[in-house]
Amino acid sequence: MNGTIAGITFRQLLGRRRVLLLLVLGAVLVLVALAYRLAGGGDDDLRWTAGLLENFGIATLMPLVALVLGTGAIGAEIEDGTIVYILAKPISRSVIVATKLAVAALAAAALTCGPILLAGIIAAGGMGNGLVLGFTLAAAIGSLLYAALFVALSLVTGRALVFGLFYVLLWEGFLSGLFAGTRTFSIRQHTLAFAEAIGHPPTDAFDASLDLVPAVVIGGALLVISVVVAIRRLRAFELRGEAA
Amino acid sequence: MIEVTNASRWYGNVVAVNDMTFSLGAGVTGLLGPNGAGKSTMLHMIAGFLGPSAGTVTIDGRPTHGDPEVYRGIGMVPEREAVYAFLSARQFVAANARLQGVAEVEAATQRAIAAVELQDAQDRAIGTYSKGMRQRAKVAAALVHDPPVLLLDEPFNGMDPRQRLHMMALLRRMAADGRTILFSSHILEEVERLAERVLVIVAGRLAASGNFREIRRLMTDRPHTFTVRSSDDRRLAAALVAEPAVSGVALDDGLLTIRAADFGTFARIVPGVARRTAITLYELLPTDESLESVFSYLVAGGARR
Repeated sequence: MNGTIAGITFRQLLGRRRVLLLLVLGAVLVLVALAYRLAGGGDDDLRWTAGLLENFGIATLMPLVALVLGTGAIGAEIEDGTIVYILAKPISRSVIVATKLAVAALAAAALTCGPILLAGIIAAGGMGNGLVLGFTLAAAIGSLLYAALFVALSLVTGRALVFGLFYVLLWEGFLSGLFAGTRTFSIRQHTLAFAEAIGHPPTDAFDASLDLVPAVVIGGALLVISVVVAIRRLRAFELRGEAA
Repeated sequence: MIEVTNASRWYGNVVAVNDMTFSLGAGVTGLLGPNGAGKSTMLHMIAGFLGPSAGTVTIDGRPTHGDPEVYRGIGMVPEREAVYAFLSARQFVAANARLQGVAEVEAATQRAIAAVELQDAQDRAIGTYSKGMRQRAKVAAALVHDPPVLLLDEPFNGMDPRQRLHMMALLRRMAADGRTILFSSHILEEVERLAERVLVIVAGRLAASGNFREIRRLMTDRPHTFTVRSSDDRRLAAALVAEPAVSGVALDDGLLTIRAADFGTFARIVPGVARRTAITLYELLPTDESLESVFSYLVAGGARR
C-alpha cells in the first residue's frame, strides 16, 4: 500500500461526477425501503426485505458501484495519460495494484454497504434476525471481489466498462437464471452465500442458492487470479507515444 | 549516460523506431523530427515505458524497461497535458517527491517550484493553470528528486515566447549542473536555440546526429527550388540560367521555377542579376522549405558523412 497513491486515487474516484449517480442509486434503495415502511409494511417484512436487498442491493447497486469505481481506479489514469506520473516512480507494480484495488474496494463498499444497512433496518424494522447484518457484511466482501475483477479487466482491455456490464447483466443476470451451473462463477451468488452464512437469517425469509464452500473457494480463486493478472498486466504495461 | 544500441520498436507491421544507435552524456540534446517520426516512441523507450522490440536501451548500463528502480535517476515530462487537475502545483510536486522517496519532501518541493518560478500560483489547483504554467508544474514534478537524466517530450508546446525563453534558460542551467537532458521537438528553431547536440529522426530512423551547426549547414547547403514573380519572367530566366549557381530554370503557365545548387550563393547573386537586367522582382519564394522536405533530403542521403 502506498499512502500517496491512495490519497490521489480517492480524490480521483470520488471527485468524478458519476459518483453522484451512484449516491442517487443508493438513496433510491433507502427511499424504496422508507416507502414500504411508511405504507405500513406487509405480511412478511423479513421476506420482503430480503427480496429488496437481494434484487436491488446485491444484484444492482453493488455491481454498478464496483464497476464504476473498479474500472476507474486505474483505467481513468490510463485513458488520460496521468498513469505516467505513477509508473515513472521507483514503486513496485504490485504495490500500485494493491493500493488501487484497496481504494476501489473500500470506496465501493462504503457506497454499497451504507445504503444496504440503512434500507435493511428501515424495511425490516430492525436487524431482521441477522438478515440485515449478513447482507451488509457480505456486500463488503462482494464489493472487494467485483472491484478486483474490474480493476484487472481495466488493465486487460480499454473497454472494461462494457465487458464488465456484459458480465453483470448477461452472465450473472440472465444466464444464471437459465443455467444453475453458471451461478458457481457469479460474484452475486457468492455474496448471497456469504450473506446467509454470516447472518443466519430464518430460511423461510432468505435461502441462498449457492453453498458457502464453493462461494469461498471460487470467490477466493477469482480474487487471487484478478490480482495476479492485474499485476502482470501493469508490469508489462506499455505507454505508447503520440504516433502509435 | 544514455545508451541506445541497435534499438528498434515495432507495433505489429508498423515500425516506429528502426535500428537506432546513439549515446548521450551531460548537456542538452534535441530530438528533432517531424510529427510521427518516432520521437515519442524513442523517448518512451529511454524512459522505460516501452521495451525495444530489438536492441538495447540502457542508462548507466542498466536496461530501462521493466525495472521501476531506474526512475530514481530519471525525470520524465510527458507530452500529454493531463495532470491531476484537482491538486495544486504544490500538492502535485510534493506527491511526486513522496512517490520518489525524497527525504525532505517540503524542501525539495519548494526548490523545484522555485526553479520553474511557480511560487505565486503554487496553491491554486492545476486545473486553473494556463498551458505554460501547467507545463512548468510538470517540469517541477519531474525534477523534484534531482535526477541526473531529464527527458522532456515536446516541452515547449503551448508556451508563449516568454515562457519558452524561461524554460530554455532553466534547461540550460540544469545541463550546466552536469545533467543529461533530452527533449523532443518538431520545431527547428527551438532545437537550434537550446540544444548543443541534435539527433534528427525521420520515419523512425536516425537521419543525422551531432553538432547543431554541422546539421544546420547540411540542411541549408542542398539544392533549393524557388518560384519567382518579376516584371519580366522570361528575360530573368534567360539571365539566371547563365549563372553557375543555378542548375535549372522552368517557365510553366507563367510561373518561373528556379533550381539552385545551394541556398547561400543563389541568394547572393539574384539581386545583382535583377539590377543588371533592370528587372523588378516582386516575389521570391522557396518552394520546399517545410521541415519535412528538409528531413527527407537528409534521409535520402544528403547527410551521409
